[in-house]
Amino acid sequence: MITGQKFVEGKGTYVDDINLPGMLYMAIVRSPYSRAKIASLKGGLNSSDYEGRMASVGEGGSGEINIYSEPVFAQGYTSYLGQPVAAVFGEDRYKAEDLLNSVDVEYEPLKPVMEIDAALKADPIHPGTKNNILIDKWVGKEFKDTSSPIVLEDSFYNRRVATNPMEPRGVVATYDGNRLTMWASSQSSQSIKEGLVEAMNLSPDSVRVIQADTGGGFGLKGGLHPEYVIAAHAAMKYKRPVKWIETRSEHLSSSNPGRGARADIKIFAGKNGIINGVTGEVYVDAGAYGGFGEFAPRFIAYQLTGPYAIPNGYVRAIATLTNKVPQGPYRGAGRPEASYFIERMVDLLADELKMDPADVRIANMSSEPFKSPLGLEIGAAKPFFQDALKEFEYGKRFTSDTAGLGFFVLVPGIGPGEGARIKIEKGRVKVWLGGDTAGQGHQEFVRTLIREELGIASDLVELQLGDTDAVKRGVGAWGSRSAITAGAAVIAASGKIKDMVIKDFGDYSPENALSGSYDIDHFEEMKGTLNSFGANIAVADVSPLGAIRVKDCWSYYDVGRVLSKESVWGQIMGGIVQGIGQVVSEEIAYSDEGELLTGSIADSGVLSADQVPNFVVKVAENRSDLPHGVKGLGEAPTIGVPSALVRSIEKVTGKRIRDTPVRPEDIAEDF
Amino acid sequence: MNGIIYVIFIVSAMTITPSVFEYYTPSTMVEAVNLLEKYGDEAKLLAGGQSLIPLMKMRFASISHVIDISRIEEMDYIKEDSNRLSIGALTTVDELGSSVTIKNRYMIIKEAADQIADPLVRNMGTVGGNISHGDPANDLPAVMLSLDATFMVQGKNGGKEIKAEDFFVDSLITALEPNEILYEIRVPKMVKRQGGAYIKHKKSAGDFSVAAVASNIIVDGDGKIIKVGVALTSVGPTPIKSTRAEGILAGKKLTEELAAEAARSITEESDPVSDFYGSIDYKKKVLRFIIKESLVAAYKRAKEAQ
Ligand SMILES: Cc1cc2nc3c(=O)[nH]c(=O)nc-3n(C[C@H](O)[C@H](O)[C@H](O)COP(=O)(O)OP(=O)(O)OC[C@H]3O[C@@H](n4cnc5c(N)ncnc54)[C@H](O)[C@@H]3O)c2cc1C
Repeated sequence: MITGQKFVEGKGTYVDDINLPGMLYMAIVRSPYSRAKIASLKGGLNSSDYEGRMASVGEGGSGEINIYSEPVFAQGYTSYLGQPVAAVFGEDRYKAEDLLNSVDVEYEPLKPVMEIDAALKADPIHPGTKNNILIDKWVGKEFKDTSSPIVLEDSFYNRRVATNPMEPRGVVATYDGNRLTMWASSQSSQSIKEGLVEAMNLSPDSVRVIQADTGGGFGLKGGLHPEYVIAAHAAMKYKRPVKWIETRSEHLSSSNPGRGARADIKIFAGKNGIINGVTGEVYVDAGAYGGFGEFAPRFIAYQLTGPYAIPNGYVRAIATLTNKVPQGPYRGAGRPEASYFIERMVDLLADELKMDPADVRIANMSSEPFKSPLGLEIGAAKPFFQDALKEFEYGKRFTSDTAGLGFFVLVPGIGPGEGARIKIEKGRVKVWLGGDTAGQGHQEFVRTLIREELGIASDLVELQLGDTDAVKRGVGAWGSRSAITAGAAVIAASGKIKDMVIKDFGDYSPENALSGSYDIDHFEEMKGTLNSFGANIAVADVSPLGAIRVKDCWSYYDVGRVLSKESVWGQIMGGIVQGIGQVVSEEIAYSDEGELLTGSIADSGVLSADQVPNFVVKVAENRSDLPHGVKGLGEAPTIGVPSALVRSIEKVTGKRIRDTPVRPEDIAEDF
Repeated sequence: MNGIIYVIFIVSAMTITPSVFEYYTPSTMVEAVNLLEKYGDEAKLLAGGQSLIPLMKMRFASISHVIDISRIEEMDYIKEDSNRLSIGALTTVDELGSSVTIKNRYMIIKEAADQIADPLVRNMGTVGGNISHGDPANDLPAVMLSLDATFMVQGKNGGKEIKAEDFFVDSLITALEPNEILYEIRVPKMVKRQGGAYIKHKKSAGDFSVAAVASNIIVDGDGKIIKVGVALTSVGPTPIKSTRAEGILAGKKLTEELAAEAARSITEESDPVSDFYGSIDYKKKVLRFIIKESLVAAYKRAKEAQ
């Protein structure tokens, strides 16, 4: 059976397949303006009924409510197009959408603040605050460089990208008088629960979140969203189950997109290509509220030396508030941005010195582990990179005239570890993880590890969906962390089961284990770093009208030991498509007046099959120090592909490329 | 993209279900026309639904009486006689692209049909719907303009013919009255030494065009252009039939330079807007490129059809 076969056969149970007796359908009245005063509001469930705000939870979340936390319903004014203003409930989806007209809202549109630069100058978008700066911190140590002969500066922008999972967001909430139960399409039932508890002031015991089969997440489904709180509140208020399923239009306007980061970078280098220092500013367009945007700029700044041994670094990390939907994590979540910024500068240096980009990179690599002035710890980069050049047949199959080369370090999100529960009963094994698989097929690595650790055949092992009642503590599936952290937790839990079997039977055998009943819920604490390297080659063809076709895309990633070849290859190929998408077309864009320009999935630029290139996937299986030898993987392609592809476009067109996506009109020939 | 005025995409509706409507399934054209007459402005014909249903689901359009004509068999055919090609309005876009008659003799139509959307849409969408919707981004209108097609229309008080040139009034507005049905599209039969080409510039497979152009050329035995029809998609409130092409090209043999000159001139007849897919300047650049390409291809085909 292939991973995901049941989904292909239509046998999945997604959250929209869950129907409870008496269930109400929820539809949301959303702000049609990026910024407006709500002059009057009548009807539906709205802020007069529920005034709460939400803490940001999940990847990069602070877990705390502050003045920048998003309100569940807009309160007196709206701060982004698509912001929930009211909610209506009907017996079915049609009736719920009919009721949207029953809510009377009078808006007084205000001039929205749409871009980072405008936000820095504009009056605060939120009354009672001083300015639109969400965060402003320096990372690294100030340095003076007056001796480097080469000083290069440039500015880059990775525009916003929708996460666009195939299945949009959705929840079903129900309340039995004591406990709130929520089914969700999820990457982290644990975070959603944490968020509900915090936002609604509930006791942890009174909330249960259960994952339904999940058709993709890419970062979006690890956190709490206003609609979840509204559904939960309504279920408690009306004492009936409530379902909310996002439409694609809602997804494109009202769900947290990723990227949206700009940088002004300066590097100091010698004529031999050695970079002595990097400084500059990283700006993140946080959107209208805090959350991931509070974390992202510092995370990007911290990685700005990339895989290179750059001895000096001092970077200002800023997030600004704008009248856009709050930014969120998207596959890579800060890693691709950092890599893009430094790789673009390294290519610029190669051009300045007329060196091969591979040689400039080698000149900046260490054969030893290196701790960067910005705090990033990496292993010895040079040996891996030299292997990569061999794997790519660089210089023969590909040359720097047309091929773009990208090199990066992947920093997986390891801390604080992950939970796993293993239950053996009636000769079968059930496993729960603290993070929820959203289509990556975690079942595969779980089965491999149980087979290796406990000697139990894969067909007896079933990975269960996330459930906060089943696992005491867990984190989430994001940040290239699941095989590392949940894998380690499965191994530790397996060890405990082994010990118990030995205690019961005198020795361990799979038969003994399967004949007994065991139940271990274990949280494996983990910290530190486990970084790995990856490299990409991309070759693009650009038509006279600026249409980009990717001809070749090769990858060589150090994924550690491969637990499931199919999963690893699937992750790499899917990620490459998203990496290409970010470069050639994917974007969430607004006009200066705040209208959404990308309201359909076609406009948002998701690639179609005809734009998928020849993949060549190669991996280095350099074991990590973990018992199962794995390293991070899931985000590698979205980190590595954009800079490589952009470089190829730059070489083929002869035009310097700074921003993604690359607009055809900017690279079309002149005629 | 500084200084560009964008086309507004209003996202007030984020729904996925239509509001309530009555639904009818006439099995003859007469029945359909009677229903149209009865419900007037409150009614809409539904053919393949590929334009209408999305509008209804997003509640951009609220229609109380939906008349589904997709079961009317008498409106589904492709016929060629000594004078003309006749296409029943309910012929699907896929049937159009797969027809042997079309493939052998009307390459320009096939090229357009095959590039419309994706197989799902082509299996459902109809030729009549594609034309009647009046969307300047739809591909078949420009083809029909370049071929000097005639649209056969039936209303309660009888039938009439509308020339393609007179049909497209404004964005989403055609010369059809609310109580009329388009039942047949007539294209003059291809003659000897006639060739056409449809070139569509789009971002990715399945997309509407940034700009597209239909060129239809007839040459004489010496390769001199006798007749030419050029029409543009997606670059104005309606599909645009060139009025200059004939004057520039008639009586001449096409060279690269002449094609480029014609392309420059015809581009001036366009009226594109700046939007997310490009500025006005960029769209004109696209036009200059594809008009030339399509003229060259159509001319080559015309000469080869000797
Ligand atoms: C994802 C997607 C992508 C698309 N891409 C393209 C593209 O690239 N190029 C392109 O050309 N089109 C494209 N389309 C549009 C599609 O081709 C048209 O929707 C289709 O051809 C219209 O025909 P229909 O039968 O579906 O019309 P319907 O949606 O049923 O009707 C459209 C309109 O025409 C009216 N109508 C229909 N038939 C008649 C008739 N016989 N007489 C009078 N009025 C009538 C209806 O009342 C309605 O107002 C796309 C559609 C989708 C959904």
